[in-house]
Amino acid sequence: MNTNPMLPYPGKLVEVRDLAAEIKLLRVELAEPGAETFKGWQPGQFAFVSAYGLGEAPFGIANMSQDGSLLDFAVARLGSVTTGLHELGEGDTVGVRGPLGNCFPMDKFKGKNLVVLGGGIGGAPLRPVIQTVLSQRLEFGSLTILWAARNQSLLVFTDEYDQWRAAPDTRLHLTIDQADPKWDHNVGLITDLLKKVNPSPKNAITVTCGPPIMIYYVTRMLAEMGFTPEDNYVTLEARMHCGLGKCGRCNLGDKLVCVDGPVFNMLEVGNMMETYL
Amino acid sequence: MSKPDPNAKSRLISQTELDSWLDGLASKQTLIAPRDVSGVVLYRPVAGSGEILAGVPRPVMSVKELFFPPTERLLRIQKTRTGINVKETLPEDQTIIFGVRPCDARGVRLLDALFLDTAPADPYYARRRANTTLIGLACRELGPTCFCTSVGGAPDDPTGMDMLVYPAGSGFLAEAISEKGHALLADTGWPETVIGGAAPDSTDHFPVPEKGRWLGHFNDDYWMKMSERCLSCRACAYVCPTCRCFSVRDEMLGPGEFERIRCWDSCAGENYRRVAGGHRPRAEKGERLRNRFYCKFLYFPGQIGRSDASACTGCGRCIEVCPVGVDITEVLQDLERLA
Repeated sequence: MNTNPMLPYPGKLVEVRDLAAEIKLLRVELAEPGAETFKGWQPGQFAFVSAYGLGEAPFGIANMSQDGSLLDFAVARLGSVTTGLHELGEGDTVGVRGPLGNCFPMDKFKGKNLVVLGGGIGGAPLRPVIQTVLSQRLEFGSLTILWAARNQSLLVFTDEYDQWRAAPDTRLHLTIDQADPKWDHNVGLITDLLKKVNPSPKNAITVTCGPPIMIYYVTRMLAEMGFTPEDNYVTLEARMHCGLGKCGRCNLGDKLVCVDGPVFNMLEVGNMMETYL
Repeated sequence: MSKPDPNAKSRLISQTELDSWLDGLASKQTLIAPRDVSGVVLYRPVAGSGEILAGVPRPVMSVKELFFPPTERLLRIQKTRTGINVKETLPEDQTIIFGVRPCDARGVRLLDALFLDTAPADPYYARRRANTTLIGLACRELGPTCFCTSVGGAPDDPTGMDMLVYPAGSGFLAEAISEKGHALLADTGWPETVIGGAAPDSTDHFPVPEKGRWLGHFNDDYWMKMSERCLSCRACAYVCPTCRCFSVRDEMLGPGEFERIRCWDSCAGENYRRVAGGHRPRAEKGERLRNRFYCKFLYFPGQIGRSDASACTGCGRCIEVCPVGVDITEVLQDLERLA
């Protein structure tokens, strides 16, 4: 393990594919000692990925793998680092620092009905939650996935929807903001879909990730529907430059998203969500 | 106020003895002290005592910059045809700093709590800290913007020092605080005395608002009004002994040669929270300046597990440097008065 937490582990891109418009899925293979360090990472945790020469940026880890040596990152081309990452191909080297942050309390979720709400690329850190539930299907109650994007081309993990739908006691509801003639699912914001699906708060946990405005309104609506603050989970994004609780950038009130989060429930951050917008 | 222990063995020395001792230190390693740099007082390397400003004034920048530089290289990155080579670049210099004010040394202890004591330790800060000896100078009097006594400090507070020198008559009393300081002082051969140093007694303090007042007034209009004149210039954060926000980025040095650096940053800055994609929380100046004050008195103390402490050392630099007269002591007193 590196003694310097700012020093990344070298990783090799073993797969690069288009996940959605301007979003790529990078699969990184870590060599030792990076692989050993990532062994046992938990859903919800994140890592910094370096495009050397351009910088590094934090990404939620987007897949479960047996030993932690293969890590998926969904990268939307938005700034200079993500553009640099988009320009890399299979066989190229990146740097990876982590695993960082807390995680979803998956053990606590066992026996509960799960409602997973993902908006756009915000679905990426929720994929390990879905994969965990599907791989231990009997351990959890029902799984209801509400999956949204601005338009059809921005929906992520489309090739896995059939697999999700086929799992026992699992439902997938899709929505896009803008109407499209080739679209036969819901049209409207995820809050509109949530109203229609109307999940029961009984013995249920919700997990939300997406753009800040979506998280803000979805968590409010879930509260109105009767989901208690401690069962209303989110994973938050904030600008961060170290991921170690030092650089100070990512605070939400007295919480640091990088070390106190990125996973929070509304009991912890509900009163600070106005400042998240 | 913490007076030196009257039974502590300190050493009574003259100005000449102090100067020749400092000259000796400077001949063996890097000695840093308040020096005139084009008309500005800064902690900078000095060739000997002759370069140290008379009266050893408090520098414009706090001692923070010597442990946590404004810009610092973290990694050296080389890209070649065969691969990428990444190396950490840890600082090596051994230094002694003379003339450290008690407020600055308290600031260093607060940074220690974050960069050293809160896991994971920051190796760059740790290396500089381990390689540095702090020789403090107790203040003869409080400066016009000083308020250390209101936030738990004192003009003769030895917290964080390795050695503390007190002005005493026409000479000085030198006292070892840490092991490093004891070793340094033992080498001097100066005669021991039991006379305590005399620091000014300040009764001029005001109460710092309790946690409940901060929590209760978060959404008050006060913050928007108070910050209306703020320029978001971030100078307050740069001169602050405990503001520690930074950003990290890669810079090109030449073909295939890069460095990863970190630079000071501040929550008062306009784009501090902007994320790729354009989302910008805390877009209002009031939200940003409010965060700075809440960080000093609530957030930072919480992050280092010392909710009782204040991350403000009362040095008053932010008051001096602000071009539009934002005064932290006024803010604290206003908050105490808000309905």
